Amino acid sequence: MKKILLILILFSSGKLYAQELFLFTEPASNMAKGNIGARLNNTLMENSTTSSYKYHLIPEVMFGVSRKVMVHTDIFLSDETNKFTSNGASVYAKYRFFSIDGIHSHFRMSAFGRLSFNNIPVTDAAINLYGYNSGYEGGVVATKLINKVALSASTTLSHAMDNDQQKFLYGNENRNAISYTLSVGKLMLPKQYITYKQTNLNLLLEVLGQTNLQTGNSYLDIAPAAQLIVDSKMRFDLGYRYPIVSQLYRQETQGFLIRLEYNFFNVY
Amino acid sequence: MHLSINLSNSKFIIMKTLLLAIATIFTFAASAQVKKVSIQATGLTCSMCSNSINKALKSLDFVDKVDANIQNSTFDIYFKPNATVDFDKLKKKVEDAGFFVAAFSATIHFNNIAISNNEHVIINGTTYHFLNVKDQTLNGDETIHIIDKGYVTTKEYKKNASFTTLDCYKTGVAGSCCPKDGLVKGSRIYHVTI
Repeated sequence: MKKILLILILFSSGKLYAQELFLFTEPASNMAKGNIGARLNNTLMENSTTSSYKYHLIPEVMFGVSRKVMVHTDIFLSDETNKFTSNGASVYAKYRFFSIDGIHSHFRMSAFGRLSFNNIPVTDAAINLYGYNSGYEGGVVATKLINKVALSASTTLSHAMDNDQQKFLYGNENRNAISYTLSVGKLMLPKQYITYKQTNLNLLLEVLGQTNLQTGNSYLDIAPAAQLIVDSKMRFDLGYRYPIVSQLYRQETQGFLIRLEYNFFNVY
Repeated sequence: MHLSINLSNSKFIIMKTLLLAIATIFTFAASAQVKKVSIQATGLTCSMCSNSINKALKSLDFVDKVDANIQNSTFDIYFKPNATVDFDKLKKKVEDAGFFVAAFSATIHFNNIAISNNEHVIINGTTYHFLNVKDQTLNGDETIHIIDKGYVTTKEYKKNASFTTLDCYKTGVAGSCCPKDGLVKGSRIYHVTI
């Protein structure tokens, strides 16, 4: 497990829960200054304890603050407590510190951080600040675009706090983890760009992993996805995530992510 | 009654002639009208990225229309009549959208403007520094390429440095290199070629 971790770190810099418009990770690029994006993120994950699907609804608003800075705000809703309620909220910021562009290509690097609050009971040894744990994290992501293919890699360090009244169950020594991701996406359609009205189809594949810094236990997931971009301003994502290594305990390891996104240009 | 109407008519005719004369003078005074700007942007392939740039350029008050070629990442920009075109504002919109400019050309209608190589010339209140050109008089539509930092690729900017030794090429503004041309220190100079 430590060997896999080393190889993946050599490859990349990664990210926890999220052509380069990936589903489970965010690329190094930002939105334009003055643009606002609105998202409805839906996850349906198989719960191994109840053998049913648990549903998370995460409305998200994204702000292009400047050419280098982007901020997201999220609200967490779910039926994890057998009642569909709000569980918490989160704020995320990304700063692009490096960019080299060419025609139809770029190499960019960004640093990001997230702060989350959540009040659902803690069940997992794995740390997930996107709808499960309270905590904070920071990381670096690098994205390379060459014509129709985008490659992205990220690393994140995460710290789990207690979920309000619900304590983090696994002991103070186990509150920290390192996550790492490697993602590839390809623009499949259209073959030739004529107008903004053409629908784009992207196919994506992500590898998402985490290792607990104390125990050395890890998980590694594969997440294939398909994405439609409509009218050059709306996005529909469908992804499925499943584990290939599951040493680090999670109650929900596999399921769907369905996202609807709408972009507003030049709002401010 | 009859007399006052006659007087009003003459006054009206005089006013109209005067206004026409003033309008004609102003038309000739606009001796370098920017007709079109073409920008090629870098760092993008997909149409949603292109649309961000497209919408950003359209939001400028002097822009009338933008024709985007998504395949080539180029944007042809047309302007409102008699509007003052600000090249730096156009470039800033591309950069604020998260991308960079690889090429920037402006098609300008010149009315007998004499230019010399490596010399400054003020046209319609904008200072241009023509580089790598033959001394000539510009008359009619001419396309000039802006080669300032941020208007071309880094590689091309470094390559073009051989065209002049004047400091303003590095800074984009008038400095101690250019006092003899009567330029205000710190004023913007666009470095261009044809």
